[in-house]
Amino acid sequence: MTGPRPLGSAALVRLIASRESSARLRDKNFIISSIVIIVLLVGTLGLQVVLNSGSDTTRVGVVGDPALEVAIQAQGKALDVDVTVKALDDEDAARAAIEDDDVDGVLIAEEGQQPELLVEQSAGGSLQAIVQGAVAQLSLSEQLASVGISALEVPAVSVTALDPQADQDGQRVVVAIIGIGVLYGLLILFGQFVAQGVVEEKASRVVELLLATMRPWQLLAGKVVGLGLLGLAQIVVITVVGVTGALAFDLVDIPGDLVGTAVGVVAWFVLGYAFYASIFAAAASLVSRQEDLGTVVMPTTLVLVVAFVIGIQAASDPSGTLAVVTSYIPGVSPLVMPVRQAAGDVAVWEIALSVVLMLVAIGLIVRLGGRIYAGALLRTSGKTKIRDALRAERA
Amino acid sequence: MLEFDGLSKSFGDNHVLDGVGFTVAPGSMFGFVGSNGAGKTTTMRIAMGLVRADAGEVRWQGRPLDQETRRRVGYMPEERGLYPKMRVGEQVTYFARLHGLGAAEATRASEEWVDRLGLGERRGDQVEKLSLGNQQRVQLAAALVSRPEVLILDEPFSGLDPIGVDSLAAALLDQCRQGVPVVFSSHQLELVERLCDSVGILARGRMVAAGTVEELRRRDSERLLRVVVPDAVPHWAGELSGVRVVSERAGDTLLELADGADDQAVLTAALRTGRVAHFAWQQPTLVELFREAVATPTPQEVAA
Repeated sequence: MTGPRPLGSAALVRLIASRESSARLRDKNFIISSIVIIVLLVGTLGLQVVLNSGSDTTRVGVVGDPALEVAIQAQGKALDVDVTVKALDDEDAARAAIEDDDVDGVLIAEEGQQPELLVEQSAGGSLQAIVQGAVAQLSLSEQLASVGISALEVPAVSVTALDPQADQDGQRVVVAIIGIGVLYGLLILFGQFVAQGVVEEKASRVVELLLATMRPWQLLAGKVVGLGLLGLAQIVVITVVGVTGALAFDLVDIPGDLVGTAVGVVAWFVLGYAFYASIFAAAASLVSRQEDLGTVVMPTTLVLVVAFVIGIQAASDPSGTLAVVTSYIPGVSPLVMPVRQAAGDVAVWEIALSVVLMLVAIGLIVRLGGRIYAGALLRTSGKTKIRDALRAERA
Repeated sequence: MLEFDGLSKSFGDNHVLDGVGFTVAPGSMFGFVGSNGAGKTTTMRIAMGLVRADAGEVRWQGRPLDQETRRRVGYMPEERGLYPKMRVGEQVTYFARLHGLGAAEATRASEEWVDRLGLGERRGDQVEKLSLGNQQRVQLAAALVSRPEVLILDEPFSGLDPIGVDSLAAALLDQCRQGVPVVFSSHQLELVERLCDSVGILARGRMVAAGTVEELRRRDSERLLRVVVPDAVPHWAGELSGVRVVSERAGDTLLELADGADDQAVLTAALRTGRVAHFAWQQPTLVELFREAVATPTPQEVAA
C-alpha cells in the first residue's frame, strides 16, 4: 500500500484523456460511425478496381506469320491498348487456348488462306480493331513490296503537350477532395464529441466533484487531448487504409503526391481539431442540457460547413482569389489549404504563413475558450452568457 | 484541526456568508445545520475551492487548503454527480485515481468500497441503471475510496431510506473513529443530534451558535422548567418572582425562569398545590434550539 501521491498536471491530464477515449471506444455511435467510414472507403476502392478492370490487357493468339505478332503489338500501341501476343502452333491449339481463357482471341493467318479471328463469343471492340489493323497493315506492306516499294516515307507528327500533367493534377485534386471530406467529417464528429462530453459533465453535475480535484484547464486539456488522439488515430487509420488500398490496386499514377497529400490532410486535422475542439468546448460549457447544445454549437458548425464548401470550390479553381484568401483564414484554412497544396501551385511560405496564423488563432481561442469554460462550468442552471462566464472567472 | 476561519462571500449585493468560522477536531463529527439558503453549501464549496471566498480561509493541519491538499478531502456535493454511462466499479476507481491512488491500488480500493457499501453485484452496471439510493452509495464510495484525511459532505443523508441512513451513519462513525474529521450538513436534526460531537447553526450567513449539543443546551437550559401538578388551580405560578408562565394545561406547566430566579421557590410553591408528578429542567431538542437560533436576529444583524 503506497497510499495517495501528489498528482502532477501531466498525470492528471493523462488520466482524464484515457477516460475520455476509453469511454468513446465503448460508445456504440462511435464504433458504428468508424465502421461505416472504413466500409465506405473500402467500397470506394473496390468500385474503382471494378471500373478500371474493364481496360486491362487484350490477349491475342497468332497462328502463322510471325510478322503479324509485331504488327499487332504496333497496332495496340497506336490504339493505346495493352496487348500481349502469343504464338500458337495450329487451330487446335488456338481453340484450346480460347477455351482455357489463355487468350481473348486467336488470329489464324496461314499461307494462302483468308485470315480468320477465332473468339469465344464475340470480339470486343478493341480486339477486332487491333487484329484488323494489323492484318491490313501487313497486307498493305506486302502488296507494296510486291510492286517494288520497300520503304514508305511518312512524315512523323510531333506532339506538343500544353499541360502534360493535366491527368495527374486531376487525380491530386480528387485525392484532396476526398481528404478534406474525411477531415470535415471528423472535425464535426469529434467537435460534437467534445461538446457532448462537456455538457454531459455539467448535466450530470459530476463536474463539481471533478473540479474539487483539478483545475478547469486540466479537465479541458484532458478531454480535448483524449478525444483528439482518438480522432488522430481514426484519421490515420482511414488514411493508411485509403492510401495503401489505392497503391495496392494501382488506382493512382502519382503515389508520391498521394502520400504527400495524405500527410498534409492529417497535419491539418491536428490544427483544425485544436481550433474547433476549443470552440466547441467553450460553447458547450454555456449550457447545462444536451437539448440546448444545438443552438450554441450551430454557429461553429456553420463555419465548418462554409469552409468545406469553399474547399470543394477551391478544387475547381485552386488559384482563384477566394481560394487564395480563404487559405489564410484560421478555421477555414484547414479545409482549403490542402486542396491548394494538392493542386500544386502553393509556395512554401504561403503554407507556413497559413500554419502560423492558425497557430496564433489556436493560442487565442484556447485562452479565451478556457476562460469561458472555467467561468461557465459551475453555473449549472440554464444558459450562461459569454460575458458572465468571462467575468466569473476573473472574480 | 480543520479550521474554517472568517469566511465571507457576496454574490453581487447578496451577502451569502459573513465571517463564518468553526473548528473540527480530528476524529470528531461536526453537524452543519441552517435553513435553506443560509450558506452551508457555499461554505463547503469554498473549502473545496469551487467558490472563491472574499475573505477568510479554510485550513487543515494549520495549512490553507490548496489543490494538492484538497485531494486528501473526500467530498460529496449537494447536487450529486456521477458519469451516468460509466460502470460503478470503473467510476469509483477513476475517482480514486483522481485523488492520487496508483492504478492497482485504486482498483483494489474500489472493489473494497463497492463491496462494503453492498454494491458488489452491481459493479459492472452503468450508474444510470441504479436506483437513486444505490447511486447515492456510489457517490459515497467515490468520496471515501481514496482514504481521505477529511470528509466534507453536503446533505449526505437526503434521499436515503432509514436503512440507508443507518448504514451511512455507521460508515461515517467508522471514519471518525479512524481520526478523520467529518463535516456534514443536514436538515435531519435528530440525526445530527445523535451523531455529532458538535453542531453549528448557520442563519443568514452567520454562525449563530456553535458548540457541542450539550453546550448549546446549557446556554438555553436552566431557563425552562416543566412542572406537572395535577391538583393545582390555574395560574398557580403566576405570582412567583422572576417566573414567566410559558404554557399551562391541566396542571402541566412550562415556566421560564429569569436569571437568578430560585427554582426551589418554584418547587415549594408547587408542593403547596398538592401532588407534584413531574419537576425537571426542560432539555431543549436541537430542533428547538435551531428554531430559536434561526428565529432571533443577533444584535449585529439588527444593527446591520
